[in-house]
Amino acid sequence: MSWVTILWSMTAAACLTLAAIQFLVWCHRRTMWADLLFTLTATGVAVYAGCELWMIRAVTPAQFATALRWLQVPTWVVVVSLAGFVRLHLHAGRRWLAWSVFALRSLALLLNFLVGQNLNYREVTRLRHVPFLGESASLGVGVSNPCMIVGQLSLLLLVIFTVDATITVWRRGDRRQAVLTGGSIAFFALTGMAQAVLVLWRLVDLPLTESFFFLGIVVAMGFEMSRETLRAAQLSDDLRESEARMTLAAEAAGFGIWMWTLATNQVWGSERWLRLFGFEPGEAVTFEKLTQRIHPDDRERVASAVRHAVETGADYASEYRIMLPDGTVRWIAARGRKHPAPRGKPARMLGASIDITDRKQSELETAQQRNQLAHLSRVNMLGELAGSLAHELNQPLTAILSNAQAAQRFLAHDSPDLSEVRDILADIVAEDKRAGEVIHRLRLLLKKGEIQNLPLAVNEVVQEVLQLVRSDLVNQGFTAQTELAPDLPVVHGDRVQLQQVLINLVMNACDAMAGSPAGGRKLIIRTAPAEGEGVCVSVADRGVGLAPDKLETIFEPFFSTKAHGMGLGLSVCRSIITAHGGKLRATNNPKRGATFHFTLPAGAETKP
Amino acid sequence: MNNPEPTVFVVDDEPGVLKGLSRLLRSTRLNVASFGSPQEFLEQHDPHAPGCLVLDVAMPGLNGLELQAALAQKGSAIPIIFLTGQGDIPMSVQAMKRGALDFLTKPVNDEDLLKAVHAGIAKDRVARQAKAELDEIHQRLATLTPREREVMEHVIAGQLNKQTAADLGTVEKTIKVHRARVMEKMKVQSVAELVRLAERAGVRRSGQ
Repeated sequence: MSWVTILWSMTAAACLTLAAIQFLVWCHRRTMWADLLFTLTATGVAVYAGCELWMIRAVTPAQFATALRWLQVPTWVVVVSLAGFVRLHLHAGRRWLAWSVFALRSLALLLNFLVGQNLNYREVTRLRHVPFLGESASLGVGVSNPCMIVGQLSLLLLVIFTVDATITVWRRGDRRQAVLTGGSIAFFALTGMAQAVLVLWRLVDLPLTESFFFLGIVVAMGFEMSRETLRAAQLSDDLRESEARMTLAAEAAGFGIWMWTLATNQVWGSERWLRLFGFEPGEAVTFEKLTQRIHPDDRERVASAVRHAVETGADYASEYRIMLPDGTVRWIAARGRKHPAPRGKPARMLGASIDITDRKQSELETAQQRNQLAHLSRVNMLGELAGSLAHELNQPLTAILSNAQAAQRFLAHDSPDLSEVRDILADIVAEDKRAGEVIHRLRLLLKKGEIQNLPLAVNEVVQEVLQLVRSDLVNQGFTAQTELAPDLPVVHGDRVQLQQVLINLVMNACDAMAGSPAGGRKLIIRTAPAEGEGVCVSVADRGVGLAPDKLETIFEPFFSTKAHGMGLGLSVCRSIITAHGGKLRATNNPKRGATFHFTLPAGAETKP
Repeated sequence: MNNPEPTVFVVDDEPGVLKGLSRLLRSTRLNVASFGSPQEFLEQHDPHAPGCLVLDVAMPGLNGLELQAALAQKGSAIPIIFLTGQGDIPMSVQAMKRGALDFLTKPVNDEDLLKAVHAGIAKDRVARQAKAELDEIHQRLATLTPREREVMEHVIAGQLNKQTAADLGTVEKTIKVHRARVMEKMKVQSVAELVRLAERAGVRRSGQ
């Protein structure tokens, strides 16, 4: 075995090995075109080495010429794949330069097969034999082909293109990559070209050893590629670790993580999430299957929230109940967002869910306590109003009794006036209904029912309250004036509780004016559209007003200015208004007295 | 004197109650005039019209007690029967002190109301009769000359003609003539009768 055979074969073998490895890598990730280009380069270099060996061992000039002609094929492959590699791997270099390299080299290949024996010689006339590594190597002698310059130019262009790309990479800050890949390609290409020029123009007596320079390039590229592969492995490790960390954090926080692939309708969930929704670990969950777990009352609301998030890309957040297969009901809070489809992947929605049953439970208990307190304070308030309410009942009862007794007397007449009696009976029916109304309203106020969340017209509520307290006001010489804005937006809430707030405010206003002279006992109830969407209701008195430092403290529980007050009225009022999503506050009037204002958002839903 | 038929005036701000009470009163063939507010009544009321007033205590604007005071100021002595929704004791005491005839609690029974109304009408009739008599006495008194008035004051004081003549610086005979004129003008037969009339009219006695 001669040294020449060993060296060239090893070069070819090394290149083929690297090509094979990178080809396998490319097979796994088809999108990494740089891997394929590297494979092509390395394969090209291996073939190139074969052709070079063929030339060294050539026996006849014709053999040498043929070897040199076929050498142009791997050269084309190597040059073109290198240009492509630089563009794809370094993400740099001018596109037109790359295309110029491709065009020139292709032209060179075409000329190689069309003009003369090959690109370099029009005709190889004879062979010279020079000593090389203790052997004899064949060198061609003949008429040079002027087309050779096209090949040289394409190589020069490749070097310029590579240097330009390298500078860009360097400036970008990837200095290591610039030196290792760009630098080595430029350097070995340049030195290789120089050697070819020297050999082919017979300035030195040496055979072509381009493949060694190309090997240098391939090794540098291979090193870069393996580093890349290593980095990918590292990244995947990091990713796995980060995922583990996230899972741990989510687990610790009680979050279940889910991902819903819109196209396939499959929902992937972390173990925690699957447990949360009562699925078996590893169970395949579809969106429909998930929807079945949601409480029927909440299903439509959740579905529309999800639809909205999918259509607009907005954040999705909702709280809803689920029913587990064993019948238990849990409260879930979920948040998520649609992620735009990454290249080649379907759109997904990612999010996290958590069990908030305990929080909801305590919220519910708080609401119940608030409800109970509101009821207590209402009963207390109605106690104070008893006189007025008795009067409200007394009036229709008086009318009924008088009418009925009048009818008895009319009927006792010799010729009873029956049309009069008919009128009387109609009036009795009307008055009885009126008494029934009062009792009905009273019963509603006394009832300890579930909080209603229904659409209400605020002006109606004001009128109802005035009917309830009217006698009380009249008896004490108060006049109530109303300034009700028409066309107010509808609010949602509990009628009884809002009545309670208004009665409380009206009674407080009267208390504040207890010491006022007869002419000054006037209160005004106003309704107006609030800023934004909503309604503002105010109760103004002409009383003594409030001390500036008491404007807030009056809303604290057990604060009272009355001798017998529980001091709960205003604090309960404020909690009722707050639960309705509004605000209750007090201000002093510019001239006399104080005004209590509360707002109610339009169409707002109270917390359950 | 030809008094017109007495009327029951009803004042209540509650239309249903007003209608019911009026009907009840009309069913016993009483004359009824109803008013929806104290102001309305005050504007239209004729103090000479006989009858009584059925008045709700609690009304907006002018309440029952205030109307009572306003009527007293106008010199109307119409008997008032108060109606109240709630047996308000302080208010009823005040009303009775100011001369209210009765204080009834709603819902009011027909017997109670009618009894009170008839009592009111009777009281009004008596009061008006008394007032008419008094007016008559005053009219008679107005016909006396100053001298005759002086003589009458001495007569009702129980003085003899002689004493009177001495007091007034004249003779007994002249006094006798004056005395006969007084008895004639006052349309009385005896001194005792004259004393009674003078007392009712509040004529002071001489020397007292």
